[in-house]
Amino acid sequence: MSRDRTPLLALRQVVKRFGAVEALVGVDLEVRAGEVVALVGDNGAGKSTVAKIVAGVLTPDAGLVEIDGEPVTIGSPAAANRLGVATVFQDLALSENLDVTQNIFLGRELRTRQGFLRDLEMERVTRQILQTLTVRVPSVRTPLRTLSGGQRQAVAIARTLVGEPRVVVLDEPTAALSVAQTAEVLTHVQRLRDMGLGVILISHNMTDVRAVSDRIEVLRHGRNNGSFEATASHEAILAAITGAA
Amino acid sequence: MSGSQSSLREANRAAVLDAVKRHGGLTQVELTGATGLSAATVSTIVKELVATELVAVRSTTRSGRRAQLVTLTHRLGLAAGVEIGHRRLRVALADASHDVLAEQVLPLPSEHRADTTLDRVALLVVELTERIGRELDEVVGVGVAVPAPVDPESGTVTAPGVLHGWDGVAVAQVLEKRIARPVFADNDANLGALAESAVGAAKDCYDALYVRVSHGTGAGIVLGGRVLHGVAGTAGEIGHVLVDPGGAICRCGSRGCLDTVVGGPAFLEPLRTSHGTLTLRDVVTRAVAGDPGCARVVADAGAVVGRVVADLATSVAPQRVVVGGELAETGDVLLAPLREALRRRALLDVPHPLDVVPAALGPRAELVGAIVLALQSTDLLPSAGIVPVDRPRAEHEASAGGRTS
Repeated sequence: MSRDRTPLLALRQVVKRFGAVEALVGVDLEVRAGEVVALVGDNGAGKSTVAKIVAGVLTPDAGLVEIDGEPVTIGSPAAANRLGVATVFQDLALSENLDVTQNIFLGRELRTRQGFLRDLEMERVTRQILQTLTVRVPSVRTPLRTLSGGQRQAVAIARTLVGEPRVVVLDEPTAALSVAQTAEVLTHVQRLRDMGLGVILISHNMTDVRAVSDRIEVLRHGRNNGSFEATASHEAILAAITGAA
Repeated sequence: MSGSQSSLREANRAAVLDAVKRHGGLTQVELTGATGLSAATVSTIVKELVATELVAVRSTTRSGRRAQLVTLTHRLGLAAGVEIGHRRLRVALADASHDVLAEQVLPLPSEHRADTTLDRVALLVVELTERIGRELDEVVGVGVAVPAPVDPESGTVTAPGVLHGWDGVAVAQVLEKRIARPVFADNDANLGALAESAVGAAKDCYDALYVRVSHGTGAGIVLGGRVLHGVAGTAGEIGHVLVDPGGAICRCGSRGCLDTVVGGPAFLEPLRTSHGTLTLRDVVTRAVAGDPGCARVVADAGAVVGRVVADLATSVAPQRVVVGGELAETGDVLLAPLREALRRRALLDVPHPLDVVPAALGPRAELVGAIVLALQSTDLLPSAGIVPVDRPRAEHEASAGGRTS
């Protein structure tokens, strides 16, 4: 939870255009270690575009992306992982037919020199990660299709931790979840913060955002439209989102 | 009252059941102590109660010896406990023996609204019941801990301004409407006191103080085994005791309350320059980890709270002071200066220094208190024919009683 003055990840005057449409117009964003920064805004405000740029899915047309104060190019999702940035998208990208451990190690399975899967080791790591996050699933071999929405979100978050990231981006993690499941996911977000990671939380739900964030950044029509402390009132943030302020 | 054999046995039976209900589970030896009945009588009554399936007996150990633990049977239904905090909500389901079957924490935004939060409480109770595969109508009662004074009769928040956005909210009534189960609300410190005196660190005390140091400070006063509520449930609100006559205006409207110095924004402010923006949870974690700045702030809080508690303890003369709430998780960082403040009062050293201990239930005291409230407020045992029986004084209580004279 050490809060260094240098941000782990920073966007400086980032611009992204899709043809004639300006999705991001000079956006600034910073996240430090042990800090949860929420990114809020209406549909089409540019939240997901920011997530995709940070995840290496899109490259900005102008502006800088900095890690530890050094400008970097995040050219691909693999590059993002190498730089310690992990993203959980709204669709979670999990496989229904695989179990928890298989999902967590999907595409980066641990193998012996002979090429055999190191199942026990993967189970051990999975168990350990789920424990750090205090995730409640019946077993590390439970098939994903039997899990609830909240548990799936937890598995998706756990999956990002295998690469030992320093920044985790969560895109709408509580959308379509029940209250109990939302409670679990928000508790995981607090755990990530306590582990000293920087968290960017993208969400529509103002109650959830204000419950766990240290800072709330508002995007409106692809521009920064206000930065709030977590204690700011619901109304003040809403006004910045809708442009009433 | 007739002195017939059967009515006497009925009263004894009720006393045993009442003691089991109050403590969740007791060994037969402990039951003898709690009811003042002979070992043989307790044994006979327990056998009868087991036959009627009101209680169950299982083997356990007490101080290394084998013992028979007497608990209420599971078929007696569930109790829900709810703790509404400034920044989080906790809901738990427990059986009649206070065993927690499911629990969930939900982080809350600062200055959360009564309507949204109570809606979420209702949904969480329903979801947790489903999670353990039970029906909502098995929940015999819901206890709610609220961080503001609550009138225990009506379950309404009484003192204006103490909890922003909750003035005059009929917590019990609103929740009852949403989940159609009996709801009982009380102040969080009072419920912490109830839990610690029923199953925690003040289990053996007749008179005790429970002090809760968190986002605000509150106390629960236990006198003769009962929590004192006072008019409108405001007894023990030591967060609104004057500590700084020239200080800031408190949200309650008075000047220089304890709450303006400990727990609130004023408490985090001194750390802003050196540590940046921290939450109360951060300060606790860091103080435990040995951060000197955070430990300093917590220790200063302990000294201020200690002075207020010393005044209260001098008036009430309790057997023990139990300290809970989030700041108590720092252990002696908070407790040492608090104890030190009590040591300075001569009357609190007679006949021996007043005992100051951390809450045995730790951060769960209020939640357990809410469960105990739900269980005690509902008639779990319709067939038992409960007759109110005065709790007899234990030996040490009789001797402690002579202390003040």
